[in-house]
Amino acid sequence: MGQAKSQFTKEELQDYEDLTYFTKKEVLLVHQKFKALAPEKVGHNRNAKLPMAKILLYPELSVNPFGERICKVFSSSQDGDCTFEDFLDMMSVFSEAAPKSVKAEHAFRIFDFDGDDMLGVSDLRQVIGKLTGENKLSETDMTVLVQNILDEADLDDDGALSFAEFEHVIDRSSDFLNSFRIRL
Amino acid sequence: MSGGEKKRKGTRSQGWEEAGAEFYQESYPGDGDIESLWKDPNRLATLLPSKQTRAVAATIRLRTQDTRTNKSTVRRYATGRSRRDSTRRTSTIGGDVHVSMLPDLSEMRSNEETAWEEIMMIKEKPIPMARKRGEKDHILSQQHLRLQGLENFNWKWKKAWRSFMAQLSESFEKVELWRGDLKNIEGHFGTGVVAFFRFIKWLLFLNLAILLLVVLFIVLPTILLNTQKPTCTNPNEEEYSCDEKYYCNINGSNVALSIVQGTGILETSLMFYGMYPNATFTYHIFDVPMYFNLPLAYLLVTLVYLLMSLIVIVRTGAKGFREKLLQNEGQFYQYSNLVFGGWDYCIQNEKSARNKHKAIYNELRTLLEEERLTEERHKQDKWRIFFLRCLVNTIVLAILTLSAGAIYFVFNYSITIKPNDGPKVLQLLYEFLPSLCIVALNITIPFIFKFLQSYEHYSPLTQIRMALVRTVFLRLASLVVFYASMYLKIDCGESEAPLTECSRCSAEPDCWETFVGQQIYKLLLTDFAIQLMLTFLVNFLRALLARHVHNRFVKFIGEQNFDLSRHALDVVYTQTLCWVGIFFAPLISLMAVVMFFILFYVKKFACLVNSKPNNVVYRASKSTSLFMVVMLVSYPVALIPIGFTISTFQPSASCGPFKSLGSIWSLVEQTFNLFPDVIQSIAGFLITPGFGIPLFVLLILLLYYYTAVNSANRHMVRVLKNQLVLEGHDKKFLIDRLLMFIRQEKRMRMMCSSSRNTDQDTLTNASSIQS
Repeated sequence: MGQAKSQFTKEELQDYEDLTYFTKKEVLLVHQKFKALAPEKVGHNRNAKLPMAKILLYPELSVNPFGERICKVFSSSQDGDCTFEDFLDMMSVFSEAAPKSVKAEHAFRIFDFDGDDMLGVSDLRQVIGKLTGENKLSETDMTVLVQNILDEADLDDDGALSFAEFEHVIDRSSDFLNSFRIRL
Repeated sequence: MSGGEKKRKGTRSQGWEEAGAEFYQESYPGDGDIESLWKDPNRLATLLPSKQTRAVAATIRLRTQDTRTNKSTVRRYATGRSRRDSTRRTSTIGGDVHVSMLPDLSEMRSNEETAWEEIMMIKEKPIPMARKRGEKDHILSQQHLRLQGLENFNWKWKKAWRSFMAQLSESFEKVELWRGDLKNIEGHFGTGVVAFFRFIKWLLFLNLAILLLVVLFIVLPTILLNTQKPTCTNPNEEEYSCDEKYYCNINGSNVALSIVQGTGILETSLMFYGMYPNATFTYHIFDVPMYFNLPLAYLLVTLVYLLMSLIVIVRTGAKGFREKLLQNEGQFYQYSNLVFGGWDYCIQNEKSARNKHKAIYNELRTLLEEERLTEERHKQDKWRIFFLRCLVNTIVLAILTLSAGAIYFVFNYSITIKPNDGPKVLQLLYEFLPSLCIVALNITIPFIFKFLQSYEHYSPLTQIRMALVRTVFLRLASLVVFYASMYLKIDCGESEAPLTECSRCSAEPDCWETFVGQQIYKLLLTDFAIQLMLTFLVNFLRALLARHVHNRFVKFIGEQNFDLSRHALDVVYTQTLCWVGIFFAPLISLMAVVMFFILFYVKKFACLVNSKPNNVVYRASKSTSLFMVVMLVSYPVALIPIGFTISTFQPSASCGPFKSLGSIWSLVEQTFNLFPDVIQSIAGFLITPGFGIPLFVLLILLLYYYTAVNSANRHMVRVLKNQLVLEGHDKKFLIDRLLMFIRQEKRMRMMCSSSRNTDQDTLTNASSIQS
């Protein structure tokens, strides 16, 4: 712990504490986990940029069907490679202290595959495809399912979910807050 | 179309990236945007307020707050609101824009406190750390008014308090019970199953609270203050009082046996009801005499722990119930919930991830299947299934009745035939026969139910629920029969005149409350022992077999799912027994705490070692509300016998804190009569019709008012929803029209310019010809 502490100045730690949902100790813990992903690289440069493949070694992300999307959303260079600060941002959003609105905001970006700020039919199809993994739904099932989701949640009937509609769904779901979480 | 999308992507990334820089100055489409529209009409849709990215809205919000800092009440309202739901912040853009056009005085108006609050808000924004830091520096670099006097003190204190709370919660987290275990289970089985383990933890703390209550107000006072303990030193047996007779008749030769049976040493300890004295203790604090009325304390503790349990259950379950209500009103997002909230981000194990994929797939399939089935099912089929279900339900009822009869029979048998002269083991067997019978039935009957269920063609979710309901009824029915046989044992009818001053009839045990306590104690022990055995011997062997022998039949026998409802029922059953038992044996609360502590590890073993991840999606909120429903159902089963004991039965004359009373409730009446006259008359007025009828009318009026409001609200929701759909259509229509118009204009311009070009061409041609 003492060694890790010396890697950050006091001001940096204070910044991290103010700008994330972590305490100083938790920030250091996150850094330890980050370092464990690629010890040799992070050992030289604590803010080294790790390629997406390395980030995906993190156990929770490695089995997560949206792992790549998560990396891309949080990566500051948008290609999935993450620096420590990106990783810290990611863990902060997934932490227990982060409020529902923040989580919903990021979930929306994760699900928004084509990045048009709407969850359209193609986005929904991709989300469902990733969720079911190897088990593929039949084409008719998929169509019916997407239609059902739109029927439920697309309030203004424009064929896609806007963020407001998505947040409305999330607001009603009591499981989302529980499941959209990675414990340190 | 693909080209259009690409361009949209470009604007979007701009939106995220430069939300602070570009949009900070121009938070709504200005002339520049209109100009660019001419070049690319498809951009139009992205300019709608509803599609502006959240970052834009966030910056606008931040800015608005700057302006509002001088009106502190308004500001506070704004922070509270915008934190809560960000949906509204997009919808209030219109108003915000208006505010942001006012002269910006923010730099002078903000003070230290608001600046700090703004910094705390930065973390909500979806921007990378470097930019967050930039914003923080920006806020810090502005000039802030220093707070003066009391405000300054308040603000300092608030900041210190917050950091103290943060530290406290951090250190609490470190010592949190079972943190690592829970994370491990979550990683393997997901949040739904972890909810069950949290439930065990919750029960542990509930019982800890009850134990604290019992120890503080019943056990400790008795140990410290009780001076009149019964002794058996009096040479003349005839002169023994009732409680001495009872006390001296207890013989505990075999310590191990007496601990298992709850007799002997245990019976003379403070474990059971019988050893608590009927006395008001007197003690002195600084020479002032103080009184402690133990019987009253005993009664109050009982009422308090029952009430406390009820309140805690209802509070914890309320959330789930609310969701259930929403679901019934058709406002529940079944599919969306599954798709958007279906994945447990905490899963970290590949095998469980694969199972989760499969589980979600199954659930989606069954949901779709169900929908299709309800549409397609033929009438004839319906009748057949209806008939089958009726038949199955009749069989289930018959089985329930039979098992109730069996318990009743076994209980009577074990009491009437008491081989006092037989070997100790046989005696013990007879003693435990009812408990064994109940436990055996609880284990075997659910399998029969499961077999019968396959004929009913329910959907998987309903299947789980039906199985749970039936097993709950089985368990509770066996408990009720247990009570009934106990009642027959201790009740000797009105006609019989009291036999002696100590007991009313010969069949009654000397101290029937202790007797009941012993029975419950034995039931608890048996149940716990069987659970241990099942988990560590039977199921563990099955799991081992399934893992190492590759044979279809062995696999079928050995593989087991972690059946959440069954395990939940085990735990709830234990809790129900504890609730009843604590009145008859206060220290059962200690036993409950220890048992739940061990049960956590037992169930963890059953979950992680014995079972493989489930193919059913258990959702945390649903399972929690399920546990609470089962708790609520079994709560009355614990409440009723205690209620009867307190209100109608005559407490035994030879033991316990209520030995001189006709009924326990009369103690309350006596105490009430000691209250001052004012309170008595007020209470007297409260129960007269003069107070009751107006109150009743008032309640009915209130009820009517709230249903009226409710139905009005529901109507409003429907109207607004329709409005929203219409607005959506309007929006689409207008955008289409606008796009068409823009394209037309464009074409016109092109045509104009091209015709001008052709004009020029002809001109040049003409001139060339001329030359």
